[in-house]
Amino acid sequence: MDILSSLAHGFTVAIEPQHLFLVLIGCIIGTLIGALPGLGPVNGVALMIPLTFNFGLAPTAALILLVSIYYGCMYGGRISSILLNIPGDEPAMMTTLDGYPMALKGRGGEALGISAVASFVGATIATVGLTLFAPLLVGFAIRFGPAEYFALFLLAFATIGGVTSGSFTKSFIAACIGLLLGTVGIDPVSSVPRYTFGWYEIYSGIDFIVALVGLFAISECLFFLEDTRHGSKPRIQVGSAIPGMKSSLRCGPTIGRGSLIGFISGVLPGAGASLGSFLAYVLEKRWLGRKGDFGKGDPRGVAAPEAGNNAAAGGALIPMLSLGIPGSGTTAVLLAVLLTMNITPGPLLFEQQPDIVWGLVAALFIGNIMLLILNIPLVGLFARVLQAPPWFLMPMVVLVAFVGIYSLSNSAFDLYMMLAFGVLGYIMRKLEFPTVPVVLGLLLGGQMEFNLRRAMAISGGDWSILWSSGISIGIYAFAGILMIAGLVYGLLVNQRGKLR
Amino acid sequence: MIGADTPPPREHAAVGDRIVGILLAVIAAGAWWHSHTFVTGFMHTVGPGAFPRLVSIPLGLLSVYLIVRPGFNQRWPEHSALLRQFGLLVVLGAYAALLEPWGFLPATLLATTMLVRLFGANWKQAMGSSALLTVALYLLFEFALGIPLPDIPGMSD
Repeated sequence: MDILSSLAHGFTVAIEPQHLFLVLIGCIIGTLIGALPGLGPVNGVALMIPLTFNFGLAPTAALILLVSIYYGCMYGGRISSILLNIPGDEPAMMTTLDGYPMALKGRGGEALGISAVASFVGATIATVGLTLFAPLLVGFAIRFGPAEYFALFLLAFATIGGVTSGSFTKSFIAACIGLLLGTVGIDPVSSVPRYTFGWYEIYSGIDFIVALVGLFAISECLFFLEDTRHGSKPRIQVGSAIPGMKSSLRCGPTIGRGSLIGFISGVLPGAGASLGSFLAYVLEKRWLGRKGDFGKGDPRGVAAPEAGNNAAAGGALIPMLSLGIPGSGTTAVLLAVLLTMNITPGPLLFEQQPDIVWGLVAALFIGNIMLLILNIPLVGLFARVLQAPPWFLMPMVVLVAFVGIYSLSNSAFDLYMMLAFGVLGYIMRKLEFPTVPVVLGLLLGGQMEFNLRRAMAISGGDWSILWSSGISIGIYAFAGILMIAGLVYGLLVNQRGKLR
Repeated sequence: MIGADTPPPREHAAVGDRIVGILLAVIAAGAWWHSHTFVTGFMHTVGPGAFPRLVSIPLGLLSVYLIVRPGFNQRWPEHSALLRQFGLLVVLGAYAALLEPWGFLPATLLATTMLVRLFGANWKQAMGSSALLTVALYLLFEFALGIPLPDIPGMSD
């Protein structure tokens, strides 16, 4: 089997001592960041990017570290959901519904144990899926030309809309803002400066790492300052997570179903982990009907969304690695890292740099096992982070962001730019505009335009080349279907909001 | 952060959306208009202005739609919160400006003390934790990562 030998090769890359160490560090940092209320995988990974560059890591090592952080954050997000009823990030939201009631009943440790096992199974199933399906997709994508890639980028933007909480219009507007911002700077094809207005600092374009950290980390701090009632927190006994192992056996079928649903929604471009955990929970509730005790502390209500969101996190890596199209905010951030290191994901990556792809996949398998080990006996330790006062944590986040960005370019201008993006992100979130499409636009705009121009150069200026092949028509149709699905999902979420 | 117990207060058909809609419509029109000044090179079928124009069309249309049918907005924070947020921006802006002329250690110490205060600690806690954070970051960057941070003027070797 071709895949097996590739994977075996990947393991030889992943078990290099440096890589193993990075996986461990990434898992620990990720779980810590994920556990902090308000800091999810997107912020966590964004925050760690400047540091990663400063370490001077090779691309494979950097990617392994960041993806371990990503997986770690997905694990860690459940800790604050269960113990404090505060989801660390959006995908962890569904876990609060049954996790917190369990914690109130003194079964917090058990809930953490179940969710750790569910996370492990979900993530492992997704990583297996990644191993199997990414090469398939690559085999398909190798036939794509520039017109097909252009269609693919449109697909990514068409689908990011419905699922990133809230309004369709606003998601598309946000994507357009990102795309426009992406054109700022010197046009690489014609060397014409665009929208620079004589500002030489932005001739090289808007650095997306600066934009990312501003949009996510700085805006988060602004949000935090809105509310001063962060002071007192209920102290909750964690207890041992070991009984959770037993109960998770009883949740087996639930975990299996949740993982599958999560994986599928993760693979879909634009859908991601929030949809995964939401669907896993809702469908499980419907499946079991009255047999469940959902909303009042049913262990299956913890298992389903956790399996779902971790499976989705793994699934989202598939379109990112094999097509260069991120399916979620965090994978967009990871794509930013790759592009900054001059690595373009896509079919060619699998062919030319199998070390990166398969080393990463193998590292994910190892990371999952490490996370399970870290999260069962040591969960109490991670939960202690929640007791750290916010007046210490938040300035630390700001400071790491600041010094990290500064050390990349040594320019105060980047810092002002980051602050500006922080304000933009804050205002957007207040007005209920999602910020992820901005990042996606900023990130993919250049590639999208490049492919458009190549297609037009091939056709000699005939726009119909964009919809002349069966593959591109298929992609547009798929985009249409997903858009409608997104609309339906949006309606569902609104209804859920009303029911509350 | 996603609200825990109580959903954040929201306003329907809010003014904020309309203002943003107008602003974005103007930006879209401006981007369209300005893109015509980009010179299309010889032999290029698609010039540097085409893609921005392609983006500004949906942006313009969607912002007009937003003006006509605004959605939900969260309520803006209260006066005291706005002051704190403004304080954060001022502290960070000043920090960015002072980092090079003052050097990393004094600028960071001052900025972090103010930050910790802003996030609700008392002076004693602020001094202690900012000293800790500053020194930890300094050690991390200067020694563990080997990235030079701005020295205090006159104290560099």
